[in-house]
Amino acid sequence: MNNCLDSEIQEMLPDLAHETLDEPSRVRVEAHLASCESCREELGVIQTVKNAFVFAPSIDAERVVRQIPPYRSIVPEVQAPARSRVAQWLVAAGLIVTLVGGGSLVMSRQGKVTSTNQPVASVNNSEQQSAAGVADVPTTEAGPSLAFAGSIDDLSDSSLVQLMADMTQFDALPATEPEPVFAVDAGEGQ
Amino acid sequence: MTPSPDRKAEATDLELIDRWKGGDSRAATMLVGRHSAALARFAVSAGEREGVDELVQDTFVRAFASLDSFRGESSLRTWLFTIERRLMLDRRRAEKRSRATVPVQETDAVSEYGALDGLIAEEAQERVRRSLDALSPTQREVFTLRVQQGLSYKEIAEVVGSTEGAARVHYHNAIQTVKEFLKNE
Repeated sequence: MNNCLDSEIQEMLPDLAHETLDEPSRVRVEAHLASCESCREELGVIQTVKNAFVFAPSIDAERVVRQIPPYRSIVPEVQAPARSRVAQWLVAAGLIVTLVGGGSLVMSRQGKVTSTNQPVASVNNSEQQSAAGVADVPTTEAGPSLAFAGSIDDLSDSSLVQLMADMTQFDALPATEPEPVFAVDAGEGQ
Repeated sequence: MTPSPDRKAEATDLELIDRWKGGDSRAATMLVGRHSAALARFAVSAGEREGVDELVQDTFVRAFASLDSFRGESSLRTWLFTIERRLMLDRRRAEKRSRATVPVQETDAVSEYGALDGLIAEEAQERVRRSLDALSPTQREVFTLRVQQGLSYKEIAEVVGSTEGAARVHYHNAIQTVKEFLKNE
């Protein structure tokens, strides 16, 4: 038991043993030790323990380094916003269905609002809203839409050319965030 | 308090880390050489008897694999102690820890002592080891980190996952126990 009442000095004894005290603190501690047997005894214990375990195994640094794999910087994967990812998936699915087999082409040019009861092949914002589980959400005025019900082989050359031309007019990839699922103001969409 | 050599060298540790990331393997060798002895001593004083070199190696492998998460808020050595301590805890959970004394092989010695001095040092080390065995695991960790490694209470708290105040209490209780044990031996 250290009978010394100066706890601040006692706290600095390990730092004295490690020679990490600044000069004023070192002088102060050493002056205290000259007249305090308890602290001298405690410093002796600290030094005994500090100097023990010199027989810890030596470590072969080269051998350790050989086990360390080269540095690979981890680049965080850039995550696209969830909503645009869903929109891109739906657009891609629609394009695949439109282009690959399965039905005759029906083209319509619509200048008025239609309901969202669209064929799967339709590629417009209303499909995104349908996918979100909202039925009959009025769309805003949309451009041309395609419904593809038949084999592409059935198309005449002129029809095929027209199809390709019309596809270029679609906003296949939304330039901005897709329309909100719940339209607050139906506006001209009603 | 003047900065410890390790704290003074912190910038150098960070420079070595950057150099290693840039592909300089010698930087890794320097870092391992600088901190491996301290890690080995901590492991032995914490009670590890076998596989200390493997433990130290695993510590460095884990550390280098996650250097991107080292923010430099504490010293590199403190961070290494934290990793090593977790590995020791994992080890103790996985297997029963043997407290059998491992005969010291002269080839294992890291000492500048002559033969007679070596025997005396070995005996002193055994006395200290027995006194530390009388401590609780946390007391032993706190005490050895403070006395052997010279860590501050703040750094100790970070390594053992405690608070500065609790670390101070553990240290105070530990040194009283060790003093009584060594006095009575």
